[in-house]
Amino acid sequence: MAHTYSKIATYTVGSGGIESVSFINIPQNYTDLLIKASVRNTRSGAAEAELRWTVNGSALSYSNRLLQGNGTSTSAGSYSTTFFYSGEIDAATATANTFGNAEIYIPNYTSSNYKSAMADTVSENNATSAYATATAGLWSNTAPITSINFYYSASGIWAQHSSFHLYGIKAEL
Amino acid sequence: MGSISLKTKSKSNNLTAPGDVDLGAMIPLATTTLSTATATVTFANVSQTYEHLQMRIWGYNSSGSDRTLYLQLNSDSGSNYRNHYLSGNGTAVSAGSEGAATTGILPLNANSSQTGFNGDSTKASVVIMDILDYRNTNKNTTVRSLGGWDGNGSGHVYLSSGLWMNTAAVTNLYFQLPYSTNFGSGTTFALYGIKRAGA
Repeated sequence: MAHTYSKIATYTVGSGGIESVSFINIPQNYTDLLIKASVRNTRSGAAEAELRWTVNGSALSYSNRLLQGNGTSTSAGSYSTTFFYSGEIDAATATANTFGNAEIYIPNYTSSNYKSAMADTVSENNATSAYATATAGLWSNTAPITSINFYYSASGIWAQHSSFHLYGIKAEL
Repeated sequence: MGSISLKTKSKSNNLTAPGDVDLGAMIPLATTTLSTATATVTFANVSQTYEHLQMRIWGYNSSGSDRTLYLQLNSDSGSNYRNHYLSGNGTAVSAGSEGAATTGILPLNANSSQTGFNGDSTKASVVIMDILDYRNTNKNTTVRSLGGWDGNGSGHVYLSSGLWMNTAAVTNLYFQLPYSTNFGSGTTFALYGIKRAGA
């Protein structure tokens, strides 16, 4: 029986946290990639931090669209920058032991087209403010995706017990 | 930097790399399709051998009115939950939160002008809920839900989060509706386990 949904790799952050997490040498024999992330950042003075990631070591040619709620109000916008933006996850002042919950879908990651991604991400917090975000992003590059790097550059690292899970999705071709 | 080379099949600390071994990651654990209108649905003794849980629900309630869908974890009916949402109704988008006194996860919320779990069998609601790291005792449980319904002229789409302020492993899922409302006949709950690499 062929499996359409395969586990590829898991990374769980250990004691002390870590600045970035990478999946490298990603197999090229799936149709799509799926990432589930249960993560928290140590960004100080804030209850949320951006879930940022890049592919193939590139810091160029990313653009993003977002729809977001923060527990009170909503916003929509676009974001041309040096990374895929996949919403907000928990940070230092959020309720202790609480982690954001994200799913990122990357279709046709081996194709010769520009690469699209979508995500739905939530942070949680025992307070009025917490974020729910839906995003669509584009990497304007035709290279197959062979690596993915999650990082945060604004005074925070990935907190202990954060986990990143990479899956491959295989279509019937 | 933590990194993983997916061709090495090596293990280092908590890093696992099964390479191209394909055992299948998403496993159906249990499905309940209601043959009659039913007040509550419970998944007890949830397997502790997966990394994540995913619940897929299709259905409606039998009251004729929309109702909030409640999920309580491990039979905890205390005020130990918090909820937030982002929703759209075809015209406007809104966001909000449910206060600290909430007694359950609210994947589809009929409060605050939201329309919840539909009370019309011809306009069934659908929701997918992801419970990541459900047996990790270092983490409170955060549930992410995406769902809604459409009624060919009305409807609602909903991205929500629910926090259970307890680090216990999730072993029991209990669904109910308020005001003594039943889930309608034919409503289906399907629970899946999702493995981690190396499992």
